[in-house]
Amino acid sequence: MIFEKLTMRGSLCLAVVLLMAATAAEAHHSFAMYDHTRTLTLKGTVTKFQWTNPHAYLEIDVRDTKGAVKHYTLEGTSINMMQRIGWRSNMIRFGDSIKVVMAPVTSGEAVGLLLEVTLANGETKALGVPAENTFKRTPEQEQRP
Amino acid sequence: MMSAKTALLAAAGILVFAAFSHTPSSYAQAPQSAAGIPDITGSWERARDASIPAQSQPPLKPQFLKEQQAKTQAAREASAKGTPLADRATMCLPEGMPAMMGATFPIEILQSKGQVTIIEEAFTQVRRILLDQPQKAVDDVEPGFYGHSVGHWEGGTLVVDTVGVRENVVFQNAPHSADMRIKERISLGANGILRDDVTIEDPATLEKPWTFTFGYRRIPNYSLLEYVCEDNREFADEKGQQKFRVDTPANPGK
Repeated sequence: MIFEKLTMRGSLCLAVVLLMAATAAEAHHSFAMYDHTRTLTLKGTVTKFQWTNPHAYLEIDVRDTKGAVKHYTLEGTSINMMQRIGWRSNMIRFGDSIKVVMAPVTSGEAVGLLLEVTLANGETKALGVPAENTFKRTPEQEQRP
Repeated sequence: MMSAKTALLAAAGILVFAAFSHTPSSYAQAPQSAAGIPDITGSWERARDASIPAQSQPPLKPQFLKEQQAKTQAAREASAKGTPLADRATMCLPEGMPAMMGATFPIEILQSKGQVTIIEEAFTQVRRILLDQPQKAVDDVEPGFYGHSVGHWEGGTLVVDTVGVRENVVFQNAPHSADMRIKERISLGANGILRDDVTIEDPATLEKPWTFTFGYRRIPNYSLLEYVCEDNREFADEKGQQKFRVDTPANPGK
Protein backbone atom coordinates (compact mmCIF):
# COMPACT_ATOMS: atom_id res chain seq x y z
CA MET A 1 0.00 0.00 0.00
CA ILE A 2 2.73 2.41 1.03
CA PHE A 3 4.78 1.19 -1.90
CA GLU A 4 1.87 1.81 -4.22
CA LYS A 5 1.49 5.32 -2.85
CA LEU A 6 5.19 5.98 -3.27
CA THR A 7 5.13 4.74 -6.85
CA MET A 8 2.14 6.92 -7.61
CA ARG A 9 3.90 9.88 -6.09
CA GLY A 10 6.98 8.96 -8.11
CA SER A 11 5.11 8.91 -11.40
CA LEU A 12 3.43 12.18 -10.54
CA CYS A 13 6.85 13.73 -9.86
CA LEU A 14 8.13 12.30 -13.14
CA ALA A 15 5.12 13.71 -14.99
CA VAL A 16 5.72 17.12 -13.46
CA VAL A 17 9.42 16.96 -14.36
CA LEU A 18 8.61 15.92 -17.93
CA LEU A 19 6.01 18.66 -18.25
CA MET A 20 8.47 21.24 -16.95
CA ALA A 21 11.16 19.93 -19.28
CA ALA A 22 8.74 20.08 -22.19
CA THR A 23 7.76 23.64 -21.32
CA ALA A 24 11.40 24.68 -21.06
CA ALA A 25 12.25 22.98 -24.32
CA GLU A 26 9.31 24.58 -26.13
CA ALA A 27 10.81 28.01 -25.57
CA HIS A 28 13.79 26.97 -27.65
CA HIS A 29 14.66 24.59 -30.41
CA SER A 30 12.96 21.23 -30.43
CA PHE A 31 14.99 18.03 -30.18
CA ALA A 32 11.93 15.93 -31.04
CA MET A 33 13.36 14.93 -34.43
CA TYR A 34 15.92 12.73 -32.67
CA ASP A 35 15.19 9.10 -31.82
CA HIS A 36 14.38 8.90 -28.12
CA THR A 37 14.47 5.09 -28.11
CA ARG A 38 18.12 4.34 -28.90
CA THR A 39 21.62 5.78 -28.93
CA LEU A 40 24.73 5.19 -31.02
CA THR A 41 28.26 5.29 -29.68
CA LEU A 42 30.79 6.44 -32.28
CA LYS A 43 34.56 6.74 -32.24
CA GLY A 44 35.89 9.21 -34.75
CA THR A 45 38.16 12.03 -35.77
CA VAL A 46 37.03 15.63 -35.40
CA THR A 47 36.82 17.63 -38.63
CA LYS A 48 35.13 20.63 -36.98
CA PHE A 49 33.88 21.79 -33.60
CA GLN A 50 31.63 24.73 -34.29
CA TRP A 51 31.11 27.02 -31.29
CA THR A 52 27.88 28.82 -32.26
CA ASN A 53 24.34 29.52 -31.16
CA PRO A 54 21.59 28.45 -31.26
CA HIS A 55 23.61 25.24 -30.95
CA ALA A 56 27.16 23.96 -31.16
CA TYR A 57 27.98 21.43 -33.89
CA LEU A 58 30.52 18.66 -33.94
CA GLU A 59 31.55 17.16 -37.28
CA ILE A 60 33.35 13.81 -37.16
CA ASP A 61 34.65 11.16 -39.55
CA VAL A 62 34.05 7.59 -38.45
CA ARG A 63 36.03 4.73 -40.04
CA ASP A 64 34.35 1.33 -40.16
CA THR A 65 36.11 -2.05 -39.90
CA LYS A 66 36.61 -2.13 -43.69
CA GLY A 67 38.25 1.29 -43.68
CA ALA A 68 35.36 3.20 -45.24
CA VAL A 69 34.81 6.65 -43.77
CA LYS A 70 31.37 7.96 -42.87
CA HIS A 71 30.83 11.58 -41.90
CA TYR A 72 28.47 12.48 -39.06
CA THR A 73 27.05 15.86 -38.09
CA LEU A 74 26.25 16.08 -34.40
CA GLU A 75 24.12 18.79 -32.88
CA GLY A 76 24.96 20.07 -29.41
CA THR A 77 23.08 22.41 -27.13
CA SER A 78 23.42 26.18 -26.79
CA ILE A 79 27.01 27.24 -26.11
CA ASN A 80 25.65 29.37 -23.26
CA MET A 81 24.22 26.30 -21.57
CA MET A 82 27.43 24.40 -22.32
CA GLN A 83 29.59 27.14 -20.77
CA ARG A 84 27.49 27.08 -17.61
CA ILE A 85 28.28 23.38 -17.16
CA GLY A 86 31.98 23.84 -17.79
CA TRP A 87 32.45 23.56 -21.55
CA ARG A 88 35.01 25.71 -23.36
CA SER A 89 35.46 26.23 -27.08
CA ASN A 90 39.00 24.82 -27.01
CA MET A 91 38.11 21.49 -25.43
CA ILE A 92 37.74 19.84 -28.84
CA ARG A 93 40.14 20.54 -31.70
CA PHE A 94 40.48 19.52 -35.34
CA GLY A 95 41.98 16.04 -35.58
CA ASP A 96 41.12 14.96 -32.02
CA SER A 97 40.16 11.32 -31.56
CA ILE A 98 36.96 11.29 -29.57
CA LYS A 99 34.06 9.08 -28.60
CA VAL A 100 30.48 10.31 -28.61
CA VAL A 101 27.09 9.05 -27.50
CA MET A 102 24.33 10.43 -29.72
CA ALA A 103 20.65 9.98 -30.43
CA PRO A 104 20.30 9.45 -34.20
CA VAL A 105 17.93 11.63 -36.21
CA THR A 106 14.71 9.79 -37.14
CA SER A 107 15.13 10.68 -40.85
CA GLY A 108 18.02 8.21 -41.14
CA GLU A 109 20.61 10.83 -42.15
CA ALA A 110 24.09 10.68 -40.60
CA VAL A 111 23.02 13.23 -38.00
CA GLY A 112 22.63 12.92 -34.28
CA LEU A 113 21.94 14.79 -31.09
CA LEU A 114 25.10 14.86 -29.02
CA LEU A 115 24.43 13.57 -25.51
CA GLU A 116 27.98 13.05 -24.28
CA VAL A 117 31.55 13.27 -25.51
CA THR A 118 34.68 11.49 -24.30
CA LEU A 119 37.40 14.02 -25.05
CA ALA A 120 40.87 13.24 -26.40
CA ASN A 121 42.19 13.43 -22.81
CA GLY A 122 39.76 10.71 -21.71
CA GLU A 123 37.39 12.99 -19.80
CA THR A 124 33.68 12.38 -20.45
CA LYS A 125 31.40 15.41 -20.54
CA ALA A 126 27.63 15.62 -20.99
CA LEU A 127 26.05 18.29 -23.19
CA GLY A 128 23.23 19.24 -20.83
CA VAL A 129 20.48 18.31 -23.27
CA PRO A 130 17.11 19.31 -21.71
CA ALA A 131 15.18 16.25 -20.47
CA GLU A 132 18.22 14.13 -21.28
CA ASN A 133 16.77 11.20 -19.34
CA THR A 134 14.00 10.88 -21.95
CA PHE A 135 16.64 9.64 -24.43
CA LYS A 136 16.97 5.89 -23.80
CA ARG A 137 20.59 4.77 -23.86
CA THR A 138 21.48 1.62 -25.81
CA PRO A 139 24.37 -0.41 -24.38
CA GLU A 140 27.30 -0.26 -26.80
CA GLN A 141 27.32 -4.02 -27.55
CA GLU A 142 23.62 -3.97 -28.53
CA GLN A 143 23.89 -1.09 -30.97
CA ARG A 144 23.07 -1.29 -34.66
CA PRO A 145 24.43 1.43 -36.91
CA MET B 1 37.24 73.71 11.99
CA MET B 2 34.42 71.45 10.96
CA SER B 3 31.01 72.68 11.95
CA ALA B 4 28.62 70.36 13.75
CA LYS B 5 26.38 70.32 10.66
CA THR B 6 29.24 69.30 8.34
CA ALA B 7 30.31 66.59 10.77
CA LEU B 8 26.79 65.25 10.91
CA LEU B 9 26.53 65.20 7.12
CA ALA B 10 29.87 63.43 6.83
CA ALA B 11 28.81 60.83 9.38
CA ALA B 12 25.54 60.28 7.54
CA GLY B 13 27.47 59.93 4.28
CA ILE B 14 29.76 57.28 5.78
CA LEU B 15 26.75 55.38 7.12
CA VAL B 16 25.02 55.44 3.73
CA PHE B 17 28.24 54.37 2.03
CA ALA B 18 28.71 51.53 4.54
CA ALA B 19 25.15 50.35 4.01
CA PHE B 20 25.48 50.29 0.22
CA SER B 21 28.93 48.74 0.12
CA HIS B 22 27.55 45.67 1.90
CA THR B 23 24.79 44.85 -0.56
CA PRO B 24 25.28 41.53 -2.34
CA SER B 25 25.37 43.02 -5.83
CA SER B 26 28.75 43.15 -7.48
CA TYR B 27 27.55 45.95 -9.74
CA ALA B 28 28.14 49.66 -9.28
CA GLN B 29 25.32 50.79 -7.08
CA ALA B 30 22.19 51.99 -8.79
CA PRO B 31 20.65 55.12 -7.37
CA GLN B 32 18.65 54.08 -4.33
CA SER B 33 16.05 56.30 -2.81
CA ALA B 34 15.10 56.38 0.81
CA ALA B 35 11.63 55.20 -0.21
CA GLY B 36 12.55 51.53 0.22
CA ILE B 37 13.32 50.76 -3.40
CA PRO B 38 15.15 47.44 -3.31
CA ASP B 39 18.41 46.73 -5.08
CA ILE B 40 17.38 44.23 -7.75
CA THR B 41 20.33 44.95 -10.04
CA GLY B 42 22.20 41.79 -10.99
CA SER B 43 21.80 38.35 -12.55
CA TRP B 44 18.83 36.15 -11.79
CA GLU B 45 17.66 32.70 -12.77
CA ARG B 46 14.19 31.29 -12.80
CA ALA B 47 13.15 29.70 -9.50
CA ARG B 48 10.50 27.26 -10.63
CA ASP B 49 9.69 26.27 -7.06
CA ALA B 50 8.76 29.90 -6.37
CA SER B 51 6.67 30.37 -9.50
CA ILE B 52 2.96 30.03 -10.14
CA PRO B 53 2.91 28.70 -13.68
CA ALA B 54 0.43 29.89 -16.26
CA GLN B 55 -2.37 27.36 -16.59
CA SER B 56 -2.12 25.18 -19.69
CA GLN B 57 -5.67 26.36 -20.32
CA PRO B 58 -5.63 30.18 -20.27
CA PRO B 59 -8.96 31.96 -19.56
CA LEU B 60 -9.54 32.57 -23.27
CA LYS B 61 -12.96 33.02 -24.82
CA PRO B 62 -14.18 29.69 -26.27
CA GLN B 63 -13.26 30.36 -29.92
CA PHE B 64 -9.73 31.48 -28.97
CA LEU B 65 -9.30 28.67 -26.47
CA LYS B 66 -10.18 26.21 -29.22
CA GLU B 67 -7.50 27.72 -31.46
CA GLN B 68 -4.90 27.70 -28.66
CA GLN B 69 -5.64 24.11 -27.61
CA ALA B 70 -5.56 22.90 -31.24
CA LYS B 71 -2.16 24.53 -31.83
CA THR B 72 -0.73 23.16 -28.60
CA GLN B 73 -2.11 19.69 -29.33
CA ALA B 74 -0.81 19.68 -32.93
CA ALA B 75 2.66 20.70 -31.75
CA ARG B 76 2.61 18.00 -29.06
CA GLU B 77 1.48 15.28 -31.47
CA ALA B 78 4.02 16.26 -34.12
CA SER B 79 6.82 16.17 -31.54
CA ALA B 80 5.66 12.78 -30.27
CA LYS B 81 5.97 11.47 -33.85
CA GLY B 82 9.50 12.82 -34.13
CA THR B 83 8.47 15.39 -36.74
CA PRO B 84 8.27 18.62 -34.73
CA LEU B 85 6.45 21.63 -36.15
CA ALA B 86 8.57 24.67 -36.87
CA ASP B 87 7.92 27.51 -34.49
CA ARG B 88 9.36 30.96 -34.03
CA ALA B 89 12.38 29.50 -32.22
CA THR B 90 13.09 27.49 -35.38
CA MET B 91 13.48 30.83 -37.15
CA CYS B 92 15.83 32.10 -34.43
CA LEU B 93 13.29 34.73 -33.40
CA PRO B 94 13.34 36.04 -29.82
CA GLU B 95 10.41 35.20 -27.56
CA GLY B 96 9.28 38.75 -26.76
CA MET B 97 6.83 39.64 -23.99
CA PRO B 98 5.77 38.11 -21.72
CA ALA B 99 7.56 34.84 -22.62
CA MET B 100 11.06 36.31 -22.17
CA MET B 101 10.28 36.82 -18.47
CA GLY B 102 10.10 33.00 -18.26
CA ALA B 103 13.91 33.23 -18.26
CA THR B 104 14.84 29.97 -19.95
CA PHE B 105 18.36 31.41 -19.69
CA PRO B 106 19.42 33.85 -16.96
CA ILE B 107 18.21 37.45 -16.92
CA GLU B 108 20.01 40.58 -15.82
CA ILE B 109 18.28 43.57 -14.25
CA LEU B 110 19.89 47.00 -14.36
CA GLN B 111 18.55 49.93 -12.35
CA SER B 112 19.61 53.28 -13.70
CA LYS B 113 18.26 56.82 -13.53
CA GLY B 114 14.75 56.81 -14.93
CA GLN B 115 14.90 53.27 -16.26
CA VAL B 116 14.94 49.61 -15.29
CA THR B 117 16.41 47.42 -18.02
CA ILE B 118 15.87 43.67 -18.22
CA ILE B 119 18.08 41.54 -20.45
CA GLU B 120 17.40 37.86 -21.18
CA GLU B 121 20.55 36.00 -22.15
CA ALA B 122 18.86 33.86 -24.82
CA PHE B 123 18.66 35.88 -28.05
CA THR B 124 20.02 38.90 -26.06
CA GLN B 125 16.47 40.11 -25.49
CA VAL B 126 16.21 43.58 -23.97
CA ARG B 127 13.25 45.41 -22.50
CA ARG B 128 13.32 48.92 -21.12
CA ILE B 129 10.93 49.97 -18.38
CA LEU B 130 10.73 53.77 -18.39
CA LEU B 131 10.13 55.09 -14.89
CA ASP B 132 7.59 57.73 -13.94
CA GLN B 133 6.42 58.43 -17.44
CA PRO B 134 2.87 58.35 -18.74
CA GLN B 135 1.91 55.30 -20.79
CA LYS B 136 1.25 55.93 -24.46
CA ALA B 137 -1.99 55.08 -26.17
CA VAL B 138 -1.78 51.71 -27.95
CA ASP B 139 -2.17 53.47 -31.32
CA ASP B 140 0.90 55.59 -30.57
CA VAL B 141 3.16 52.56 -30.03
CA GLU B 142 4.65 50.74 -33.01
CA PRO B 143 3.93 47.03 -32.43
CA GLY B 144 7.03 45.11 -31.37
CA PHE B 145 8.37 42.08 -29.52
CA TYR B 146 8.67 43.78 -26.13
CA GLY B 147 6.11 46.56 -26.36
CA HIS B 148 6.32 49.91 -24.60
CA SER B 149 6.80 49.58 -20.86
CA VAL B 150 6.42 52.25 -18.20
CA GLY B 151 6.79 51.71 -14.49
CA HIS B 152 6.87 53.29 -11.07
CA TRP B 153 7.79 52.18 -7.59
CA GLU B 154 4.98 51.70 -5.09
CA GLY B 155 7.03 51.21 -1.95
CA GLY B 156 9.21 48.19 -2.71
CA THR B 157 7.15 47.04 -5.68
CA LEU B 158 7.93 47.98 -9.27
CA VAL B 159 4.58 48.37 -11.02
CA VAL B 160 4.91 47.99 -14.78
CA ASP B 161 2.47 48.50 -17.62
CA THR B 162 3.22 47.26 -21.13
CA VAL B 163 1.31 47.80 -24.38
CA GLY B 164 2.15 47.40 -28.06
CA VAL B 165 3.15 43.73 -28.21
CA ARG B 166 2.74 42.45 -31.76
CA GLU B 167 -0.12 40.06 -32.33
CA ASN B 168 2.18 37.35 -33.67
CA VAL B 169 4.32 37.47 -30.52
CA VAL B 170 2.43 34.96 -28.42
CA PHE B 171 2.82 33.22 -25.07
CA GLN B 172 1.83 29.55 -24.84
CA ASN B 173 0.09 29.72 -28.22
CA ALA B 174 -2.57 32.05 -26.81
CA PRO B 175 -3.79 34.53 -29.42
CA HIS B 176 -4.18 38.15 -28.33
CA SER B 177 -5.34 41.43 -29.79
CA ALA B 178 -3.26 44.54 -30.48
CA ASP B 179 -4.85 46.02 -27.35
CA MET B 180 -3.34 43.47 -24.96
CA ARG B 181 -1.99 45.06 -21.79
CA ILE B 182 0.56 43.31 -19.56
CA LYS B 183 0.62 44.46 -15.95
CA GLU B 184 3.44 43.38 -13.69
CA ARG B 185 4.24 43.79 -10.01
CA ILE B 186 7.91 43.04 -9.41
CA SER B 187 8.97 42.70 -5.77
CA LEU B 188 11.80 41.26 -3.72
CA GLY B 189 10.80 38.99 -0.85
CA ALA B 190 12.61 38.68 2.46
CA ASN B 191 13.61 35.18 1.32
CA GLY B 192 15.64 36.69 -1.53
CA ILE B 193 13.15 35.53 -4.14
CA LEU B 194 12.27 38.12 -6.74
CA ARG B 195 8.74 37.70 -8.01
CA ASP B 196 7.06 39.04 -11.08
CA ASP B 197 3.29 38.81 -10.70
CA VAL B 198 1.95 39.08 -14.23
CA THR B 199 -1.61 39.96 -15.20
CA ILE B 200 -2.56 39.94 -18.85
CA GLU B 201 -5.61 41.93 -19.80
CA ASP B 202 -7.16 41.58 -23.22
CA PRO B 203 -10.96 41.80 -23.18
CA ALA B 204 -11.11 40.95 -26.90
CA THR B 205 -9.70 37.43 -26.33
CA LEU B 206 -9.77 36.77 -22.58
CA GLU B 207 -12.83 36.08 -20.44
CA LYS B 208 -10.97 37.41 -17.41
CA PRO B 209 -7.40 38.56 -16.76
CA TRP B 210 -4.76 35.82 -17.08
CA THR B 211 -2.46 35.76 -14.07
CA PHE B 212 0.74 33.90 -13.27
CA THR B 213 3.97 34.48 -11.37
CA PHE B 214 7.58 34.08 -12.35
CA GLY B 215 10.00 33.63 -9.43
CA TYR B 216 13.75 34.24 -9.63
CA ARG B 217 16.81 33.61 -7.51
CA ARG B 218 20.00 35.66 -7.62
CA ILE B 219 23.00 34.07 -9.35
CA PRO B 220 26.01 35.42 -7.47
CA ASN B 221 29.03 36.36 -9.55
CA TYR B 222 27.42 35.59 -12.91
CA SER B 223 27.69 37.92 -15.88
CA LEU B 224 25.38 37.25 -18.77
CA LEU B 225 27.04 35.62 -21.76
CA GLU B 226 26.63 36.85 -25.31
CA TYR B 227 24.07 35.11 -27.51
CA VAL B 228 23.95 35.54 -31.26
CA CYS B 229 21.74 33.14 -33.22
CA GLU B 230 24.43 32.71 -35.84
CA ASP B 231 24.14 29.34 -37.52
CA ASN B 232 20.66 28.01 -37.24
CA ARG B 233 20.63 24.76 -39.20
CA GLU B 234 16.98 24.19 -38.41
CA PHE B 235 14.39 25.49 -40.83
CA ALA B 236 10.71 25.21 -41.65
CA ASP B 237 9.90 23.16 -44.75
CA GLU B 238 6.91 23.84 -47.00
CA LYS B 239 4.68 21.78 -44.65
CA GLY B 240 5.74 23.83 -41.65
CA GLN B 241 7.80 21.01 -40.20
CA GLN B 242 11.12 21.63 -38.53
CA LYS B 243 13.93 20.23 -40.69
CA PHE B 244 17.68 20.14 -40.30
CA ARG B 245 20.20 21.34 -42.86
CA VAL B 246 23.05 18.85 -43.26
CA ASP B 247 26.19 20.46 -44.59
CA THR B 248 28.41 18.60 -47.03
CA PRO B 249 31.43 16.92 -45.44
CA ALA B 250 33.67 18.95 -47.75
CA ASN B 251 32.44 22.18 -46.24
CA PRO B 252 30.78 21.50 -42.92
CA GLY B 253 29.21 24.49 -41.24
CA LYS B 254 30.39 27.99 -41.77
